[in-house]
Amino acid sequence: MKTLKEIYDYRQMVFSLVKKDLRGRYKGSVLGFMWTFINPLLQLVVYTVVFSLILKTNIERYYLYLFVALIPWIFFSASLTGGSASIVAQKDLVKKIYFPRQVIPISYVTSSFVNMLLSFIVVFIVIIFSGAGINFLAVLCLPVIMIVEYMLALGTALIASAVTVYFRDLEHILGIVTMAWMYMTPIMYDKSIVPEKLLPLFNLNPMTHIIGCYRDVLYYKTVPQLSALLSSFILGIVFLISGHFLFLKLQRHFAEEL
Amino acid sequence: MTKNEIVIDVKNITKKFRIYMDKGSQLKERLIFRKRNRYEEREVLKGISFQVKKGEAVGLIGHNGCGKSTTLKLLTKIMYPDSGEIIMKGRISSLIELGAGFHPDMSGRENIYTNASIFGLTKKEIDARLNEIIAFSELEEFIDNPVRTYSSGMYMRLAFSVAINVDADILLIDEILAVGDTNFQTKCFNRLRELKAKGMTIIIVTHDLSTIEKFCDRSVWINNGLIVCEGRSDEVVDAYRNFMNQKRVESEPEPIKENPEPVEEKADNNNNNNNNNDNNNIDYSANRFGLKYVEIKKAEMINSENKDVRIFRTGDALSVKIHYHINKPLEEYVFGFGFYTLEGECLYGNNTQLDRMKINSKKTDGVISVVIEKLPLLAGKYVLNVAVVDSDGTPMDFYRNYCEFEVVSDDRSTGYFSIEHEWRI
Repeated sequence: MKTLKEIYDYRQMVFSLVKKDLRGRYKGSVLGFMWTFINPLLQLVVYTVVFSLILKTNIERYYLYLFVALIPWIFFSASLTGGSASIVAQKDLVKKIYFPRQVIPISYVTSSFVNMLLSFIVVFIVIIFSGAGINFLAVLCLPVIMIVEYMLALGTALIASAVTVYFRDLEHILGIVTMAWMYMTPIMYDKSIVPEKLLPLFNLNPMTHIIGCYRDVLYYKTVPQLSALLSSFILGIVFLISGHFLFLKLQRHFAEEL
Repeated sequence: MTKNEIVIDVKNITKKFRIYMDKGSQLKERLIFRKRNRYEEREVLKGISFQVKKGEAVGLIGHNGCGKSTTLKLLTKIMYPDSGEIIMKGRISSLIELGAGFHPDMSGRENIYTNASIFGLTKKEIDARLNEIIAFSELEEFIDNPVRTYSSGMYMRLAFSVAINVDADILLIDEILAVGDTNFQTKCFNRLRELKAKGMTIIIVTHDLSTIEKFCDRSVWINNGLIVCEGRSDEVVDAYRNFMNQKRVESEPEPIKENPEPVEEKADNNNNNNNNNDNNNIDYSANRFGLKYVEIKKAEMINSENKDVRIFRTGDALSVKIHYHINKPLEEYVFGFGFYTLEGECLYGNNTQLDRMKINSKKTDGVISVVIEKLPLLAGKYVLNVAVVDSDGTPMDFYRNYCEFEVVSDDRSTGYFSIEHEWRI
């Protein structure tokens, strides 16, 4: 509890680090901050070309189907891979100054989260221009889904960042893991094509539910099932709490290991 | 909080570090070379306890690697002790790393926010301090320029201003008071005094003993992970200085190289002059000059243990032993020596003629010593000159900058010489 209060006291540091990260991300590039919007748009173009001209699917408005799932996934995978390296990357700070170490992964995940929010502006623009329409009641659920995903991402980032300090390979292992994880989550395909045998595995994957919820809201224009939301929420809590305690234990020797 | 409350209570802390012989932090290395993960455990702190009261300034001293910086890191909670306990009351700020998180492309003002936030200040708190921080840094005109345009002095001034305005209850400082120019340093110290007067508790780790003496009420001397002594700063500093001087004198390696070669070249030139037998051709500007009828083979500086060394303590015995060789006998030889500053200023010089001695040896090789019972020189680096001339003062072998030597001292007087004195009221 004391730790949580302390992290809250350092909220300005989280804010500063997020701001620094967002500003620094496209530093020196001509288009600068515009890349935050251009990047997802260009990805959309690539996927549209591939999946409507080459790999033909029979999912209607496949580009939208994919896009509303891909943006939340990018946030999660960035939190996991980037988050794992975050403490090692800030070792000068960690070795020299005291502050609650959780601030670093929190800042990293938050900055990826803000990036996702900005990408969602593009998502909405695409939805409007595609003429798919919006269910406003369903969109009201969106913040809840995002918060659940944030909890999940933060929990995994806390674990990954603390373990990476002791075991640097994890950063590279996670590169492959996130790729596998992406294909094990119904992002590019529909959950209905998953073989019966594998379904339990898919249901254990918290991202299956979260991606499903995003898609319900933005593609199917329905209010997501409460059960799906609830189960990911519980998983989010579990990840966050276990991440928090593991981090507390591992952070004691950060300064020596770095 | 009352004045006498204990705000830092360090109870018997120990800390070990693992020094890996060959550390593999990658999976492959861990699995394949399991045996390579050998490490040596080094106990940096072996049980340290001390207490600090509110409003006190305490200095931690000790030579490199004694554990004082580790102690400070444990106090800041960057590291945790293996055993023992540290109880600290109040907000802690540290001046260990200045300018943490500075972003070169952001303005000075924005960096104040970033940097102060790392110390745990909220936006509101920073807003309230902003003007004071800017005023203290004296960077009003530049505060909206990006930090990369700052000189290193400006950078440090900004960083220090933030750190010192955090308003902590406990301030931990590690060896960073060499900030900016002297004026700014004075300003920093005055500010620290103000804060201390307001009840801030300060712990300083530094090698600069005069800072400790001037600023700290108490000091703790740590050696090899244990506290040697603690108490009033002047007493602890004296004991420490004495210990360090003793250690340096003892650890000084055996005889040092003779003067470099250029001198030898000069000596050859002088030999030519000698052949020409022309006194006026002596190059008086050379390091070594003279007619070489008598040559100085070498000079030794002998300490009380009869060793040729280049480091002495004020008050120690010192003999300068001159070994000479006579090429062409003269009626009288005058030997001299002199102590000079590195800048070439003569501090003391004397010779056998001034002391009314007459030396006329018949032997071709000989030694002459000048014995100083108690060396009066104060701490510093000095130069020894040795010379032999004839009775008219014509240089035979005049050796300037024969060697440098060092004096360490417990005497804290300034100047070059120790003078016996006492104060009376």
